[in-house]
Amino acid sequence: MLPFLAGFLCMLLSFVPFSRIFGAEIAPAFGLIAVYYWAVQRPDVFPPYGVFAIGLFYDLLSAGPLGLWALVYLIVFGLVVSQRQLMIGRTFSLFWLGFLVSSVIAGFLGWLLASLYFGQILSPAPVLVQMAATVALFPLFAKLFEQLLQRLLVQG
Amino acid sequence: MDQTNRPALPIRDVSGRVSLIFMVTLAAALLLLGRAETYVVDRARQVVTDLAAPLLELASRPVSAARRVVESTDQYAYVFDENERLREENARLLAWKEAALKLEAKVARFEALLNVQVDPSIGYVTGRVVGDSGGPFVETIIANVGSNQDVESGQAVIDSDGLIGRIVATGPDASRILLLTDLNSRVPIVVEPSQTRAVLAGDNSVWPRLEFLPALAPISVGDRVVTSGDGGLLPPGLPIGTLVETADGFLRVQTFSDRSRLDMIRVLQYEFPREIDVQDAPTALQPVASESEGPAPSASTSAPAPTAEATAAEGGT
Repeated sequence: MLPFLAGFLCMLLSFVPFSRIFGAEIAPAFGLIAVYYWAVQRPDVFPPYGVFAIGLFYDLLSAGPLGLWALVYLIVFGLVVSQRQLMIGRTFSLFWLGFLVSSVIAGFLGWLLASLYFGQILSPAPVLVQMAATVALFPLFAKLFEQLLQRLLVQG
Repeated sequence: MDQTNRPALPIRDVSGRVSLIFMVTLAAALLLLGRAETYVVDRARQVVTDLAAPLLELASRPVSAARRVVESTDQYAYVFDENERLREENARLLAWKEAALKLEAKVARFEALLNVQVDPSIGYVTGRVVGDSGGPFVETIIANVGSNQDVESGQAVIDSDGLIGRIVATGPDASRILLLTDLNSRVPIVVEPSQTRAVLAGDNSVWPRLEFLPALAPISVGDRVVTSGDGGLLPPGLPIGTLVETADGFLRVQTFSDRSRLDMIRVLQYEFPREIDVQDAPTALQPVASESEGPAPSASTSAPAPTAEATAAEGGT
């Protein structure tokens, strides 16, 4: 339950207008960080319906196509869970690289689906900026989740 | 997917996979259903937005504070330049003020002469932006005013610089603003000074484009763009921006308001005067009833009762 709450709070963070401080328009996809982190470390504590819920609330709050990010997050989650052997117990940089690949996949999928949904080729620039910001902020959140993971291990 | 070297229990793994496939199907189904934009979807969005608004409100307070700190340090750094610039601007504006006062007096005289019907004054409610759009494909923001403050869908939203968009959904204490730059935003506008009418259409880029421009319209870079008030949804004459030329040679609009610096906003509660009285024909032209003898009284000052056609017409407006 704790990891899910953490992911949910991350999703809400995306809507806090941090960008206003610096006058830039970036809203990193914090929810994706949570999905990726738990898919690699402990997929057993973060079930698919949790991933679905985070994606769905993200769609509802952003007033975008309903189910778009839910679908993208689930696909990324499935891919990462299937490939987690590559990253488990390796160096942090590899872990980070894995996230970079996941973000690229998520961004591309999201862009593709949204373009199909709206029936026109959307500009990929906002997605690229968003994913770049998310990848850059990944280590910070990974550190926070690590604390949570330690707590989970202590509990059993 | 290889199942041989998985640390998870096989039973759990299978159920997890089934649940994953089920969830993917569900999400895809929602995506297809959402195309129809049903009432349920809209309602769900409103409820979620309303629930999240207080949390976002709390979170956006420190953000606002931090922003003010950044801005004030910026101001300290450029205080001399800014002062110089403001002096020059002040001198220019004083000249404009003179001109404006003269024009105001002139216009008032003309209006009195011509008996012009002045537009009704517009009420407003002020709120703060608490939530960013978050998604990369949508340009909407959440503000902390809602139907409790009489905010309704369709009302125009401005900040200190000009129009930023309009309300598209309201809950009791929060509402969603569709920005001019959003893919779905269409606003009827007028390009001054040539009074060319067009529609401002967003496409998720920084600069919205102009649609339905007449061929050979006499417009050029730097012209002012304001709302036209066509359709009666938005008040006429709200400043929007100026025309700029993009690298590919098309004219687009640079909005006056800076989308990345939105903070305090104002929702305009404009009510287009739709109740138009039905005017009856003069009594001399009224159809004469069969049982009345002699001509109809021509000197009757009281208005005759509205005929069936008139009432029908009234219902039709």
